Amino acid sequence: MPMCDNCQNPLIPHPATITKIIDETPDVKTFQVVFDDPEIQKNFRPKPGQVAQFSVIGVGEATISITSALPRIIKENMVEFSIKKVGRLTTVIHELEVGSKVAIRGPYGTHFPYEMMKGKDLLFIGGGIGLAPLRSLIDFVLDEENRDQYGKVDIIYGARSKADLCFKYDLFDRWPKCKDTNVYVTIDREEPGWDGHVGFVPSYLEELNPSPENRVAITCGPPIMIKFVLQGLEKMGYKDDQVITTLELKMKCGIGKCGRCNIGYKYVCVDGPVFSLAQLRELPPEF
Amino acid sequence: MANKTLKKDQVVSLLNKVAATYQLIAPVADDSVVMFKPLSSAEGVVFDYVNSVLPPKDYFFPQTEQMFKFSTRNNQIVINPPDPVKERVLFGIRPCDVQSIIAMDKVFDREYKDTYYLDKRAKTTIIAVSCTEPLPTCFCTSVGGSPTSAPGADLLLTDVGDVYLVEVLSEKGEAFVQKFSEFFGNENGEGAKKAEVEKAVAAKFVRTTSLEGVKAKLDNMFEHPYWERLARKCLGCACCTYVCPTCHCFDICDFNSNGFEGERFRCWDSCMFADYTRMAGGHNPRPTKKERVRNRFLHKLKYSWDRYGLGHCVGCGRCSRECPVNLDIYTVISDVKEVDANV
Repeated sequence: MPMCDNCQNPLIPHPATITKIIDETPDVKTFQVVFDDPEIQKNFRPKPGQVAQFSVIGVGEATISITSALPRIIKENMVEFSIKKVGRLTTVIHELEVGSKVAIRGPYGTHFPYEMMKGKDLLFIGGGIGLAPLRSLIDFVLDEENRDQYGKVDIIYGARSKADLCFKYDLFDRWPKCKDTNVYVTIDREEPGWDGHVGFVPSYLEELNPSPENRVAITCGPPIMIKFVLQGLEKMGYKDDQVITTLELKMKCGIGKCGRCNIGYKYVCVDGPVFSLAQLRELPPEF
Repeated sequence: MANKTLKKDQVVSLLNKVAATYQLIAPVADDSVVMFKPLSSAEGVVFDYVNSVLPPKDYFFPQTEQMFKFSTRNNQIVINPPDPVKERVLFGIRPCDVQSIIAMDKVFDREYKDTYYLDKRAKTTIIAVSCTEPLPTCFCTSVGGSPTSAPGADLLLTDVGDVYLVEVLSEKGEAFVQKFSEFFGNENGEGAKKAEVEKAVAAKFVRTTSLEGVKAKLDNMFEHPYWERLARKCLGCACCTYVCPTCHCFDICDFNSNGFEGERFRCWDSCMFADYTRMAGGHNPRPTKKERVRNRFLHKLKYSWDRYGLGHCVGCGRCSRECPVNLDIYTVISDVKEVDANV
């Protein structure tokens, strides 16, 4: 007989306030958010790669990856969400201002296996808003408290155009200054004022051809990019357990009940969003 | 606890007494459609029905359920969850539906506890009644169930002539029998009569197969052309998921009544709808009926075993009865046993 005496209702979100909004691209904004209840803020300790349910009360709720890393969440006492304007809810989110109220529950899901990555070189491959979940791990690894536990960090990132690059302050300023860190940025098509690489992320990856020797690749981006990146990594000799990705499917509850984010018998909200390629190979190709 | 008996002509009095203390939920016929309804007395309760059109799942997982009320006045969010439900007695449910509740327990009582469901579950005493007349679409015995046993119920009543044999299956059932002890007699050989009832009802099943080998076959049938063929006649109406006692998918929506106040609610959703998995950006991992039909049957017959260790088809036959194009899970089970998995 199932019982639930005094257990918390996991579907009730906690009120929070937007304290800063950063315009990343014409359709992506980063929202810095602080929980109204200091106890909840203090206990909100997501691991890199986890997600949360982000509500505008009265409008709706969606699953959004937590884009800031734990050391910074503690130091700066706030959480960052980078949100692309794509649908009804995210359009409303983009109209919010500093001081607006939102509501958040979580963190949910699996995290990047940062313990397993210790002592290894890391290769991040991101496309578009797909850099948002990767950023939580990049910042975690590059944080001064953790940096020495990991090897070289290479970040390959692409977007449709220069304007569509997220986290320009990280890509062109903060990350390249970090120890043993290289950032490779590409845009899909030539444009005036861009003297960097031009081309799609999967082909740039093959051009750079980073060796699989003692390295873990972590990728996120549009489904089509992930597909070609996974193929490319395989060709370059990466084994299935050296490749980590994070998936996004439509979710409502975030806690493995509402049903829609299943891939086979796994639910992306509780069994993912982070999967190794080895784990994905055991599931039907339905994502 | 030892079995009891309950005289048939005492049941209405018992239910009337129950209705005075608890919320009584029992089957009633509305224009010949049998439904489970909350009742203030036993008037109108039907005893000779075979099964309800809709399962009693609504009383644990309502079709539409308020999750909380909210106010956003003065830029302050105030959230008020609903009050817990009262103690209820769910009378008259069939063994297949008891099994469906066990299946839903596995979903809602997991790493995250669904308090809406669990509150209702904990406060409901389930009095099941054995079937004596299966419908032609019934096949509980094919999927591991039985029309005359109901593990997971609190009491099980079986019609053995002038009396019901009352099997006390849980502490909650025992407490119920003690509370209403004046209605219950001691068993005196009725257990033996039950064996005859069991035998008689088992012989009446038209549909008899088994799940043997089905899961193992489905493990390797994801890409099989069978799904394409099967999906061709599906209308995508989602009726099957609506009448299914184990379908637990839901959507979450906000209703904003005046710009500042409203409620967040959840309501049944269906994997048969394209929007169910379609993301705001347009990507849809199950874009056509083929993927959706395949997902539904794999969920019932394979994924549920992989995830929860039990089947999510209890053989109630509701989806087979209500499907407008006779897309029938019993036929699917039989087909899967027949088709060449290597095609």
